[in-house]
Amino acid sequence: MIFSIATTLVIAAVCVYLVQLSSTVASNLMTTVDEISRHDVETIEGSLNNTYGRLSSVAKRMEVYDVETISEAQQQLNLEAASSELFNAIYLLDADGSLYSSTYVRLDADEHAYDELMADGREHFAMLYDDANGRLETTRESLIYGIHLHHMQIGGHDFVGMLARSDLSSVSAQLLIESFEGQGVSSVVNPQGYYIVNTSPATDLATRDNFYDVLEAGYIEDGMTMEDVRRNISEGKSFVINCVTADNQQLVMSFAPVRGTAWSFIMTVPTSVFAERFAPFIFMTACMLFAVVIVLMIMMAIIYRFMKSSVSANAEATARAEFLSNMSHEIRTPLNGIIGLNHLMERNLDDRIAMEGYVRKLGKAANYLLSLVNDILDVSKLRAGKVELDCRPFNLNSAIGNVCEMQREPMDERGISFDMQAADLPYPYLMGDEVRLSQVLMNILSNAVKFTPAGGTITMKASQHLHASGARAGLTISIADTGCGMTEEFRQHIFDAFAQERSSNDESQKGTGLGMSICHLLVEQMGGLLEVESELGEGSRFTVIVSLPLNPTKLAEMPYEPQTAAAASEAAPGPSEAAPRDRGMKLLVAEDNELNADIISSILAEEGYEVVLVADGQQAVDAFAASEEGSFSAVLMDAQMPVMDGYEAARAIRALDRVDARAVRIFACTASTFTEDRSRALESGMDDFLPKPLDVRLMLEKLGEIGRADG
Amino acid sequence: MRCARKAGSAVRGWLAKAGAMLLAASLALGSAALPGCAVQEPRDTVHLLVKVPRTGHDVVFDESIAYADQVISRMAEGFERSYDGADVDIEVEVFEQNQYDTAIEQSFDSGEAADMLYGDYFNMSTYIHTGRVVPLDDVVTDQVREDVFDYLWGLSTIGGHVYKMPYLARQNVLAYNKEMFRQAGLAGYIADGEISSWSLADWTHILDTLAANLPDGQYPMMMYAASSQGDTHIMTLLRSAGSSFFDETGHFDLSSPEGIAALTWLQGGVARGWYPPHSENLEIEDCSSLFRQGQLAIYMVNNASITRYGDTVGLVNFPGPGPEGCATSFVSGFEVFDNGDERKVQVAKDFLAYVYGNRELLSYAAGTLPASQAVAQAYSGDIPKFDLFLENRRNVVDFTGSNPDTRAVREVFYLHIHDLLMGTVSPEEAAALIDEECNRAIDAGVASSRLHG
Repeated sequence: MIFSIATTLVIAAVCVYLVQLSSTVASNLMTTVDEISRHDVETIEGSLNNTYGRLSSVAKRMEVYDVETISEAQQQLNLEAASSELFNAIYLLDADGSLYSSTYVRLDADEHAYDELMADGREHFAMLYDDANGRLETTRESLIYGIHLHHMQIGGHDFVGMLARSDLSSVSAQLLIESFEGQGVSSVVNPQGYYIVNTSPATDLATRDNFYDVLEAGYIEDGMTMEDVRRNISEGKSFVINCVTADNQQLVMSFAPVRGTAWSFIMTVPTSVFAERFAPFIFMTACMLFAVVIVLMIMMAIIYRFMKSSVSANAEATARAEFLSNMSHEIRTPLNGIIGLNHLMERNLDDRIAMEGYVRKLGKAANYLLSLVNDILDVSKLRAGKVELDCRPFNLNSAIGNVCEMQREPMDERGISFDMQAADLPYPYLMGDEVRLSQVLMNILSNAVKFTPAGGTITMKASQHLHASGARAGLTISIADTGCGMTEEFRQHIFDAFAQERSSNDESQKGTGLGMSICHLLVEQMGGLLEVESELGEGSRFTVIVSLPLNPTKLAEMPYEPQTAAAASEAAPGPSEAAPRDRGMKLLVAEDNELNADIISSILAEEGYEVVLVADGQQAVDAFAASEEGSFSAVLMDAQMPVMDGYEAARAIRALDRVDARAVRIFACTASTFTEDRSRALESGMDDFLPKPLDVRLMLEKLGEIGRADG
Repeated sequence: MRCARKAGSAVRGWLAKAGAMLLAASLALGSAALPGCAVQEPRDTVHLLVKVPRTGHDVVFDESIAYADQVISRMAEGFERSYDGADVDIEVEVFEQNQYDTAIEQSFDSGEAADMLYGDYFNMSTYIHTGRVVPLDDVVTDQVREDVFDYLWGLSTIGGHVYKMPYLARQNVLAYNKEMFRQAGLAGYIADGEISSWSLADWTHILDTLAANLPDGQYPMMMYAASSQGDTHIMTLLRSAGSSFFDETGHFDLSSPEGIAALTWLQGGVARGWYPPHSENLEIEDCSSLFRQGQLAIYMVNNASITRYGDTVGLVNFPGPGPEGCATSFVSGFEVFDNGDERKVQVAKDFLAYVYGNRELLSYAAGTLPASQAVAQAYSGDIPKFDLFLENRRNVVDFTGSNPDTRAVREVFYLHIHDLLMGTVSPEEAAALIDEECNRAIDAGVASSRLHG
């Protein structure tokens, strides 16, 4: 948007600039036209003055010559004209009006009107020959010059003026001035519009061109009329017109009066000259502006990206700081409880009843701390994009059923009605990460249980549709409750880490504040959507929408087997129900941390296991190698140990040349709980994975399985 | 048909484009508007450029005609309408009389090259020898040959081929101011209804008498040498002592006794006051003005221009070479140029065939002496003094001598007359110089002559 506005503004500015530039260049060109016109007018005026001077010289010489009759005067004029490159004929104007030519022609006063041109007392004149003033010897277009004579008397005649005639073709060539590399043409016209100077002058009076005819064949622009042009020329004004000729050529004409004559100088320049002249300016400027705009846009883009990344970095830093702050707060809170309980326990060692309460609370705080750390790790990995989702066959009905069954008991305990509308989905055999999907559903469902009051209802709906490709199924699972709901403000931040609405002090409703964030990130990584609708006091509805590929083969044949709570409990017997046959099993435990080694060996010893404890991988290998074949039922192997780590030790044990080296169960027992850690453990030859902190119940379960298998 | 009165290449270019666009548009519209009609193959338009010098032209039956190009345009319009051989677009371009070089020779091999020229024979003959002008024998049908006056074919033929098609002729003779003759006591020489013939002695007497009796400011006879304009009349005066002017090979022959005598007679007139003073500095136009103003007694006229003077002038042949004197004839007609496009040449010939087969178009020569005898006969009563000039055609002499480059000769001839009138050369010297330089020009013309085909 900002870019669009900025670009529009820049383009508008460039357009305005180009218009202004064009106007300025055109104005400069008009100034140039004016200057050339002035120069040309001065040239013509200079040429006229020079001609008057030459004619005056002839007059002076006539006074020197010894001529006594008009005939002799005409003969002298004949010789003067013959020797002149400028004059074709020279005339003497008698005071009585008679005109005597160097060609011996005599015009009486009533045969011409040239005397009238001198009647106003002017010293000289120049005019285009027009036989309306009296027919002279020529039919060719000519210029007539005249000067006033003072006291010239010949043969008793008083001559008042001397005239000269020049062929226009020769004079015009001298006065014709081209400009703008021949595209601008000068011309001179008289008030009647006849050309004194023209590019292609006629040589015959009868066929001469007229400027007004040329102008009238086209049209004048800008509202000026032909009459305006005639009047301006007659009044000797300087002016400019834009016109279009009959052959559609656009012209600019600049008019300027020629002093001492009634003529008007015209500089004619095709409009295209202007365009040609400023085209390079416009082009260069446009290129420059384009380059500037590009550079500006690049700079703006760089600045924008920098600002964006800066804002993003700041936001990230803020989020990270906030995350750390929240994390610190959430970790310190149970730690504070543990430390406080530890203090109380030290002071009440003898009070068994109080100690039982403290120990129970201590266990809760530790478990909370564990779940918090797990969640933090999940969030961190999800945010870093380091969580790799499995893509394995699973039964969706089974997964949903398991989740529901696991929450059945809490719901029953709280008197919550559970409406399950998710059975018998049409495409239950899918490929995906069952654990993570179950995690999401479990989280949402457990939250619903947590925030739904007794007597409330939780409704789970699931639906599927087959994609057009036939290879994927869209899954929509919604879990709605009639709980307390949430404010709109909180709803908008519900997927933020550590987001918890602190509206309730109910301890049972408190969590880490990371569950929904994890769910959101997981669903997002699955390429799906997690939506939430909520109304305060009415309840909430979470909807998971994902698309998963169908299992093309195996799962398609698997029948749906809902797992009952009874079955689940059968599958997961508690530690107290460990088979007696487990007792006396010999276990090799490799643990470098003395405290952890002490704890685990104590737990196992209490459960009746015989424990051989070693402090590193090498010792573990040595101990196993030194043992009697088949004496160890399992090995609990820490991953990170000095001398030899657990992975190498596992490989070494498996490599031993004895039967039980390949048969013995080796459990990775490590705080490195990421998927890659799990994979690494399995790849090194270990059989299973027991994450730290150890889930004692789970560990005993797995060891119990070994005992039952061996028995 | 298009007519451009100036050498307007830009206009012509625009017109050509506009014409092409209009043609394309009309073809498109035609094919679109007549879907049911059979589709006709579009024909290429043949563009002909006809150049015409700006020349006055009178027609006895049409006062709207003032210039020769108007007549040519009418011919073009008729041809464009009636010609079946091709779509033809004829452009008539007018140029000034002093622009022959620019309009014709300097335009060869350019887009401005003339396909046809209508002009005066003595200017046109030069181009025949460039090899560009095509023979027109195939245009001259028996009917055309019989219709055109025989004496015009001689002026139109070189090496047995007709290169110029005569359209009209003007016959030049001398005219005298009757009133001035009366004032000078020469009333006895005034004769109406005839073209007089005076002997050289009569001429000398008349001129001497005029010089003696005319008042100041009036002069006996024209004389000029400031330029080549009107030099043919001076050349004609040089036959006054019996000179044939050209020898049998077409070369100048003024060094003959008759030639030198004529030059002597001419030069002698300066001292005897026959001409305006310093006449070497005058132009023919100056003499025309003097004659018009009644300041010159004898001047040249032709059968078209005599109408200006009404009954105030009498007519007389130039002196010599025989007792009946002589006259000159200026023929105007057509040339066709080969610019490398055979189709254009053929269309141009077809144009001429169309004109010479069209009585109406030939009759536009009826203002002077038409080339067509039929036209002459039809309008003889309307053409001023037609019978007199027709009768006098037996005295017409060829002032070109059929030389291949008349214009080159004219460039040097007047300069020696100028010197002769100034007295800086003797008649013998002038004769030798004229013969030498003019014949050199003729020989150069002959050497470079290359006739078409």
